[in-house]
Amino acid sequence: MRFVSFRPAASVLATTALLLIATAPSQAQTRAETLRYVTGSAVNTLDPNIPGSTRESFALSMSTYDRLVAFGRKQLNGKWVFDLDTITGELAESYDVSPDGLKLTFRLRKDAKFQDGSPVTAEDVKWSLDRCVTAPILGKAQLLTGSLTSADQFKVIDPLTIEVTLPKPDKLALPNLATVYPMIINSKVAKEHATADDPWATAWLKEHTAGSGAYVVETFKPGEQVIIKRDEAWNRGTANKPAFFKRVIIQSVPEPATRANLVERGDADLVVDLQASDVQSLEAKGKLKVVSTPQYNAITYVSMNNQMPPFDNVNVRRAIAYALPYDDMFKAALFGRGAPLFGATWPDGKPLNGIYPFQQPVKLDLDKAREYLKAAGLPEGFSTTFSFNVGQSSTAEPMAALVKESLGKIGIKVDIQKLPDAQMSTQINEKKLPFYTEGIVAWLPSTDYFYRNFYTGNQRWNYSSINNPDLAAIAQEARFEPDKAKYEEAGRKLNAMHADLMPQIMLWQPNQDAVMASSVEGYTYEFHRQVDYRDVSRK
Amino acid sequence: MTTGLGATMVRAGRRLLSSLPALFGVLVFTFLLMRVLPGDPAVFFASGPNAGKEEIEQIRKQMGLDRSVPEQLVFYLSDIGHGNLGRSMMTGQPVLKDLRERLPASLELTFTALLIALIAAVPLGVVAALKPGSIVDHGVRLFCALGVCVPTFVSGLLLIYVFYYLLGLAPDPTGRVDVFTSLPPQRTGFLSIDFLLAGDIEGWWAACKQLILPAVSMALFVIAPLARITRASMLVSLGSDFVRTARSVGLSWRKVVVTYALRNAILPVITIAGIVFSTMLGANVLVEKVFSWPGVASYALDALLSSDYAPVQGFVLLMASLFVLVNLVVDICYGIADPRVSIA
Repeated sequence: MRFVSFRPAASVLATTALLLIATAPSQAQTRAETLRYVTGSAVNTLDPNIPGSTRESFALSMSTYDRLVAFGRKQLNGKWVFDLDTITGELAESYDVSPDGLKLTFRLRKDAKFQDGSPVTAEDVKWSLDRCVTAPILGKAQLLTGSLTSADQFKVIDPLTIEVTLPKPDKLALPNLATVYPMIINSKVAKEHATADDPWATAWLKEHTAGSGAYVVETFKPGEQVIIKRDEAWNRGTANKPAFFKRVIIQSVPEPATRANLVERGDADLVVDLQASDVQSLEAKGKLKVVSTPQYNAITYVSMNNQMPPFDNVNVRRAIAYALPYDDMFKAALFGRGAPLFGATWPDGKPLNGIYPFQQPVKLDLDKAREYLKAAGLPEGFSTTFSFNVGQSSTAEPMAALVKESLGKIGIKVDIQKLPDAQMSTQINEKKLPFYTEGIVAWLPSTDYFYRNFYTGNQRWNYSSINNPDLAAIAQEARFEPDKAKYEEAGRKLNAMHADLMPQIMLWQPNQDAVMASSVEGYTYEFHRQVDYRDVSRK
Repeated sequence: MTTGLGATMVRAGRRLLSSLPALFGVLVFTFLLMRVLPGDPAVFFASGPNAGKEEIEQIRKQMGLDRSVPEQLVFYLSDIGHGNLGRSMMTGQPVLKDLRERLPASLELTFTALLIALIAAVPLGVVAALKPGSIVDHGVRLFCALGVCVPTFVSGLLLIYVFYYLLGLAPDPTGRVDVFTSLPPQRTGFLSIDFLLAGDIEGWWAACKQLILPAVSMALFVIAPLARITRASMLVSLGSDFVRTARSVGLSWRKVVVTYALRNAILPVITIAGIVFSTMLGANVLVEKVFSWPGVASYALDALLSSDYAPVQGFVLLMASLFVLVNLVVDICYGIADPRVSIA
């Protein structure tokens, strides 16, 4: 019996060598009409309403489903960003807001069809909006912020007209209808797949689409890739034309360096989640187009737990605010790629305007920090931990080291704690972290929305756990304030309180760095911070 | 000979049965371990911009976390009994489906890497053993040391940089097949086999090219232990009496080295190869990440980071079962390589 013979082994070795030498195959002819988008995240559901859905799932649903209305876009410092103040019709041909602001009437496009060819009717719209406020899905909490809470608020007037009534003239009702969740679903198809346990077909819609959007899902491999195909009949874009790209490939590539290689080699067309260092070197090489937009609806904080000693003392919080090496942190964490929210000068000590987030009048001043510590009765300093999550370590790690070093100079000993993402969010939710860095994002960034959601209540997003009844009352009142001047006044008051109480420290708004092939045009920074595939085209 | 084979099968069956308690232990242990970890998956997954307490409660309910731990364990065990490993929050799919789709990818990669490693390591070890202390021996030692020193993700990134980025020889390192290639009908899940079965040579070529870089970077890491073991046991068997006798009666060099010395030296190599295989399957997470390979290890790591219980438990169970299987195969290989060995 012979056991080993090396001849087959040698031939395999030869084949291996051959394979390495071979060159890449010719790609399909439709490459120019295909957009290949690579991302570190992944699409995990076709219905963004499912709890746990990812940001990539949000972005995909914008292309596979239509909403009643959509945000317009505007130029901000030469870059296209979504415009919260311009709301255009998507499935609605036009809409009216009654003078008292309590009634919104939408007239649907006559030519709008679902991807199966059936017309979009007011019944479908009602079913979809009812689902959003009734079913146990994510849309419920979102629409609540626009005073949309009950199915009774949506009324079918005729097959092409639907009316939405509001209990109060809520400014955010209309913009809410343009967000990810209230997408319009083909109710006839969805109802066929509804069951007694699941009357809103959430299980079926997770794996299938039944919409009227610009793209049809061709293949869906959760966690790996999604390929979508253009719907030729779709005409809800700005030019009444279908979307530009015939196919879009959304592919997960977990390693950021590989994503950078792919887009540099021209194998991928667009990527928005590269590391700041890679973006910088790609920009310096000048072969690719880099569109950097400060994420003006997102903020990175250094948060302190206002209920936990020693951070319950306002002077300790002020001391920290003057002891952070802002400029060094900004350079080390983001390579300066973002909009700073520190280092402002307020000539008369008052906020410059009523817009949140604002640039705070703080800078590194260790003498001032020591004074505040003395005022707090802690001249010798204290010990604490500074936490951040693993998912953010590329920016948070260098930042934490600088925080530790600088606070050490005024006697505060900092232990750096790096937590797995799930553990971090659990501890934030349970209010157990004294001192940490985390970020937030708001889809509908208005001053009162920020203060109501991120500075009030015993809930997860109130990072600083601040409990100030005055602040909460002003923010609540501002929500329904129709008068612009009064709203601005309320905003100024809130900002002044923020600067005085220093519940947490706003650091910056990181850039969204979209890196794309030089032939790709029309990229717009969207509220969901991902790419809307309908925006982009190729020269 | 037939009775020998029959006895081996009986022993293998007994071996399989006796590993069931161990599997059960792994099952319960992993289950408890996941519950003890401090992260709360419900909070993590309820991270939409407006998700509040209600959403967290709802996810907790959906994942069955609103029940007591013993109750959860009973439900979990009964689910396993019905072949249901639960549902992943991360991908939104049943864990069984995810694993079934991803396991062939990991296996294909690991088998290829192990094959490359064996093909390289055994001759290297033999050559080093034939001339101990020579330049060749030192060269092999240096090569092995380098392979072990460089972590797989570094060698992976390096290979990508050279063969993809600089030379443009390799295809883009994004998964098992070029996105523009259409997939063959799934039969075995091993793309290189499925393409051949479908008669699609071009597709097979594309799949093989995707496979080479990740397989080589994995192989580099495990060549060292295999080559060292081969060298050591070759030295022992080359110095033994029967080789001296074989040499003295004038048998050909080939017959002495390959038939007598290597055959006797191969047992420890098989053992190590079995261990290396099991380790590679679980530990190739970095290679899978770097090459966007849709395998089970990166899937489990992602699940672990987000405290997604079901996939982690499913993964550990799968790995434990594979370990049992691999050990069994190794034992059977022993029997073939050396009929005197029994695995009672």
